[in-house]
Amino acid sequence: MFVILLICAMGALGIEALSDLSDRTKSDLARADGITIDALAVFGDLERPPVVFLHDLHTNALEEKSKDCMTCHLSENGRLSTRFKRLKDAGKQEVMDIYHANCIECHTEISAAKEKSGPVVCGECHRKKPTILSSRVPMGFDKSLHYRHSRALKKQCERCHHEYDQKSKKLFYAKYKEGTCRYCHKKESEDLISERRISMRLASHLSCIGCHRKTMAENMFAGPISCSGCHDLEQQQEIEKIDPVPRMRMKQPDFVLIKAGGKESSGARMNRVPFSHKSHEGYSDTCRGCHHKDLKSCLDCHTLSGSKEGNNVKLLQAMHELDSERSCLGCHEIKQRQERCVGCHGFISNRRKQGEPYCMKCHMAPTQERTGVLTQTGERELARMVPEIWWAIFGARQVADIPKKVVIKKLVDRYEPVEFPHRKVFRALEKKIDGDKLAAYFHLEEGTLCQGCHHHTPAAKKPPRCGFCHGKPFDEKDLFQPGLKGAYHRQCIGCHDKMGIEKPVSVDCTGCHAEKKQ
Amino acid sequence: MAISRRKFLGWLTATGLSSAFGKTAHAGTTKHFEGHPDSLGVLYDNTKCIGCRTCEAACNRVNDLPPPDRPFDDLSVLDKKRRTDAKKYMIINKYDHIRNPKGPLHARIGCNHCLEPACASSCFVRAYTKTKEGAVTYDSSVCVGCRYCMIACPFNIPTFEYDSAFTPRIRKCTMCYDTRLVKGELPGCVEECPTESFTFGRREDLFKIAHERIRRYPRRYLDHIYGENEMGGTSWLYLSGVAFKKIGMREDLGVTPAPALTASALASVPMVVGTWPLLLMGIYAVSKRKEKIATEEKEQALADTIAQAKAEADLKISEAWQKAEKEKEKAVETAVRKALEEAAETENEESS
Repeated sequence: MFVILLICAMGALGIEALSDLSDRTKSDLARADGITIDALAVFGDLERPPVVFLHDLHTNALEEKSKDCMTCHLSENGRLSTRFKRLKDAGKQEVMDIYHANCIECHTEISAAKEKSGPVVCGECHRKKPTILSSRVPMGFDKSLHYRHSRALKKQCERCHHEYDQKSKKLFYAKYKEGTCRYCHKKESEDLISERRISMRLASHLSCIGCHRKTMAENMFAGPISCSGCHDLEQQQEIEKIDPVPRMRMKQPDFVLIKAGGKESSGARMNRVPFSHKSHEGYSDTCRGCHHKDLKSCLDCHTLSGSKEGNNVKLLQAMHELDSERSCLGCHEIKQRQERCVGCHGFISNRRKQGEPYCMKCHMAPTQERTGVLTQTGERELARMVPEIWWAIFGARQVADIPKKVVIKKLVDRYEPVEFPHRKVFRALEKKIDGDKLAAYFHLEEGTLCQGCHHHTPAAKKPPRCGFCHGKPFDEKDLFQPGLKGAYHRQCIGCHDKMGIEKPVSVDCTGCHAEKKQ
Repeated sequence: MAISRRKFLGWLTATGLSSAFGKTAHAGTTKHFEGHPDSLGVLYDNTKCIGCRTCEAACNRVNDLPPPDRPFDDLSVLDKKRRTDAKKYMIINKYDHIRNPKGPLHARIGCNHCLEPACASSCFVRAYTKTKEGAVTYDSSVCVGCRYCMIACPFNIPTFEYDSAFTPRIRKCTMCYDTRLVKGELPGCVEECPTESFTFGRREDLFKIAHERIRRYPRRYLDHIYGENEMGGTSWLYLSGVAFKKIGMREDLGVTPAPALTASALASVPMVVGTWPLLLMGIYAVSKRKEKIATEEKEQALADTIAQAKAEADLKISEAWQKAEKEKEKAVETAVRKALEEAAETENEESS
């Protein structure tokens, strides 16, 4: 009897706890301002779990009392230290005492004044299981924000950009060398032999928030100084975006003919690649997408045979690595994974070796060049003529050649033949590449669009039928080729799935072929 | 029973020593068995599976199973996780939102046709056969219905016809051995799957295909072929887009085949059954005999002592008897003498 009462009591308490939870709003449970205080971690193993400190909660509470950052942060060299009530981490006991004494004292004071206050008991701060989920999203400084800052600061780049002189151990400003902070400030603070580079997190908070505070103190519009102002997803999306962003003037080239050589006596063997730096500036949100280490030209570090500065990455890999985010081909591969392209391009593995026919798309032969005995003049000429040959044969888009409907009846068994709206599908693909410069350049020849489905065969006006290659499944001689039924379903269903096409539903067989009446 | 410490320790040592002389226990697989050459298998790739249940329908049809409660095109069945049973040799389970927001991933549950099956190893009437084609088949004519195989299978696959009172059978996927494989046809599920999520072929070839798929699309697949080594290897292999334990497949099975786990214990049975009874009976007999002799000697000693005591007693009695006789004679003599003396006295008195 007593046991039943006990269980009922516990149940009631449980329900109470649940309702307590529902009183808290969603924002209480997922916050962007949680800072994990593990300052003692440098001194050894922690005895208690680290404290998750809600910064915005405290700044808002202090603001109501007209108190500002100086309540907790000490000033050093005209800047606020990011540490709590101290400039240095002296020792384990000292740091712990600072936290305990100040936090608990303040909380006790406030609760003595009969206001809502924070915890004073050990376990309420040092929680084993976190009660708050972090909804913090990283903050990026894209071109639009950069433009707004440079406009507001009237192009005083030196306000943020600096370099470090190892000899004089001082920061200085170098014009036209303003790179991203991340070139030097990495994830963790580094204590290199002569440089003491603080982490990006520390640098950005010191720099950004410091400047914002100063600007606000002068009663001018400034960016956020609270955690959620930058790191909350909703507030991030409210940040004003300028589009299009006027081009940055850094004495960068408009157009480059990329060609290796120079220092290395043998020089490049491939044709130079004409590269429009100006247009490519618009394709990435940050220069760091390609200039991942430095604003210099790629060839300065990535030489033909590889060099130490380039981490022994040869020029070939730097330009062509399909699996990279910053190589030319790698970035193109990523663009092909957009929903409108991925229906066909999703099937193409990026672990392949890019085929030779594609080289000439970028390594274009110069228009007039008499280069002598050892060059492939004939082939170069032909390669240059190839688009013209295609155009000569196929002319303008001859859509009439593409069958309107293809009846697939090879495997008819339980279902009626499929009436495949071939031209409609082709038109849809054409629409997808509309307006995309990359797609238009590489799909200049019409036949290339057909190669999405008519794969492993050269582009042609009348490409082979699926059944000309795909037959019985599980053929020992061609292990990797699916049978005809598998090929049809994998290609069609796969493309639809990747492109997010909702009709026809893949699991509804009758969506594509009606059931045969028995 | 009261047994002395010495005896106990003695028996224990004898038992232990005799174990050392028994046959060294090898796994049932004394050679490393990698499957019959050219044995077949099936590779299930869940990144290709669309969860249409055509394979389940095919399995039902090919094996002449009764029609299900809900038709096979009712995909809401996939909302609940299911197990195989006597009417469902193979099922597909659906797992939502475990890879990308776009689509669910599926798992196929059914007999994995292990290279060294635990069911076959546990069956003492040899109802299971690992065929050289790779399929593990079941013969209901010799089955006694003990259900040891159900306990033994690490994947919990053999299912029992509990509904059948007098002739229950174990039911499981047979890779369509009798109905299809021996005729050179594909198993039902393999043939019917529209997207060829099941790839059929020689087990070695399946590894080549699987590794090539992983090589080409490293972000699509987990770099592990389930069944390559699990429980010593299975004929049904799996490729998945997520960790296998997320789709309900056990990852804690290890690479030792099931028979190897029990082989050492089983191999010691002949030795135990053969040697130990003889040895222990021998020791028992010897010690019993020793006891018997000891008892006999004791009795003998006792008898001797008694006899001796008796003899002494007899002697004493005869001596005492003689003594008593002598005394009696003496007493009689004395009495007679006395009586004569008294008679002589009285005579004398009368004559005077």
